[in-house]
Amino acid sequence: MLTKLDLKGTRDTPEIVFDPENNRFEISGSSLPEDSNKFYDQIFDWIEVYLKAPNKNTHLICKLEYFNSSSAKMLYQLFIELEKIKDLGKEIVVSWHFESGDKLIEEKGLEYQSILDIPFEMIESN
Amino acid sequence: MNINSTFWFFDRIKEDNLCLLYNGDFSDDITNKLIELSEYNINNIDSLHKMKKKASFLMAECFQNIVRHGESLDGKVHASANEGFFLTKNWQDTYYITSGNLIENKKIENLERQLEKVNSLDKDELKLLYREVLENEEISDKGGAGLGLIEMARKSGQKLDYVFTDFDENFALFYNQIVLKSNIENVESVSDSEFKIDEAINYHQRMVSEEILVIHKGDFSQDAIFPVLRIIEDNLQKENKDAVSKKKIFHILVELLQNISRHCLKEGDKKEGIFLIGKSDDCFVVNTGNLIDNNVVDKLKENIDFINSHNGKELKDLYLSKLRERNLPNNGGAGIGLIDIARRLISPINYSIKKLDDKKSFLSINVIA
Repeated sequence: MLTKLDLKGTRDTPEIVFDPENNRFEISGSSLPEDSNKFYDQIFDWIEVYLKAPNKNTHLICKLEYFNSSSAKMLYQLFIELEKIKDLGKEIVVSWHFESGDKLIEEKGLEYQSILDIPFEMIESN
Repeated sequence: MNINSTFWFFDRIKEDNLCLLYNGDFSDDITNKLIELSEYNINNIDSLHKMKKKASFLMAECFQNIVRHGESLDGKVHASANEGFFLTKNWQDTYYITSGNLIENKKIENLERQLEKVNSLDKDELKLLYREVLENEEISDKGGAGLGLIEMARKSGQKLDYVFTDFDENFALFYNQIVLKSNIENVESVSDSEFKIDEAINYHQRMVSEEILVIHKGDFSQDAIFPVLRIIEDNLQKENKDAVSKKKIFHILVELLQNISRHCLKEGDKKEGIFLIGKSDDCFVVNTGNLIDNNVVDKLKENIDFINSHNGKELKDLYLSKLRERNLPNNGGAGIGLIDIARRLISPINYSIKKLDDKKSFLSINVIA
């Protein structure tokens, strides 16, 4: 089985835990690297392998506090990659967490929801 | 805050490696962050990091002066009693620390007497006075007897440079400046100093009249801007309890500063620029400025004008369509930062481009959110 992707968060990159064995997929923290490609490339490499044999249900949890516009683009591409799971006859769901009153993160989630073709649920927390 | 303020300040501090100006509240956590940022800056300048400890100490003394004198005296609290002015700048091998704070008019005489006394003493006499005050002192009315002043004079090795200016019928502003040189242990006098305290006061007055909170000129590479962003995040919290607007301003700053880092004309390996944060009624105003190559001027104008020609709904659609484009610029950006900023502004992106010579121009951006 594909080994898990476990990236500790830093002040400008998010924490990533993609763990197929325990079926846990989570992105949290802040993402504002100046060069987002550099950071997200390793994630796309991992996803490419995962797509060869994805779990029956993949549930991605996004708990981001802040991300810059170049990360916004990377997240979009990540969701597009994950859409492929659907074409393989498996299930993919994204949960987008935002704190109550955090208009920026809420708005970004709603935007993704409106342009993506996968179940994308908005979860508000206090 | 006027868009022209950006160049006004930049032109005066362009030779500085870094310059940080602050005009606002001096609570503990903000002063700690300011010291932290200044320490970070000092650490990054080879010739200066040896005097980090000394500089930190002197900054802390300045801040304590601001807070101590600003505190309620005789029950008369001024609305801006905890507010003050703070400047640190590095030019060549010299580091300047200037502070300004309110003081009651009737306390000036006593403070001035202490300042004159301290300035009349040589190194050994200061040491004696310090010991004397330490041993005998019933701490004076403001925890002082000039202990702080004596220490500032001893640690900096200079005469204290100070100016009082009128504020209102009850208060005056007390400014004080310290100059540190990395290659000389003690600077005897600041009289030959290149940056005069009057110039710092000039900066402060412009900040007050234009409601500018923070100005930072320096290296805008990611490592360098992080501490700055954190200070501002904290400060916005003080200025505005509204978390929504706090995050919005943070977002605008991140995008604008990263744009500078990606697109500015590099001088050496530094990515230099300036930004100013101000207030206007209930809004925040952010100005940025940086050098650009004359060759990119037309393209840049075209880009900003294009964005400005869209209204709110159109900007959202433009953002979403750019988000879906697969091609990415090779500078690490996504080409959507300015569009995303424009969506959050109350008026179009205001900009001006000033040609400096055959090679470079100065780009100013001014946004209100």
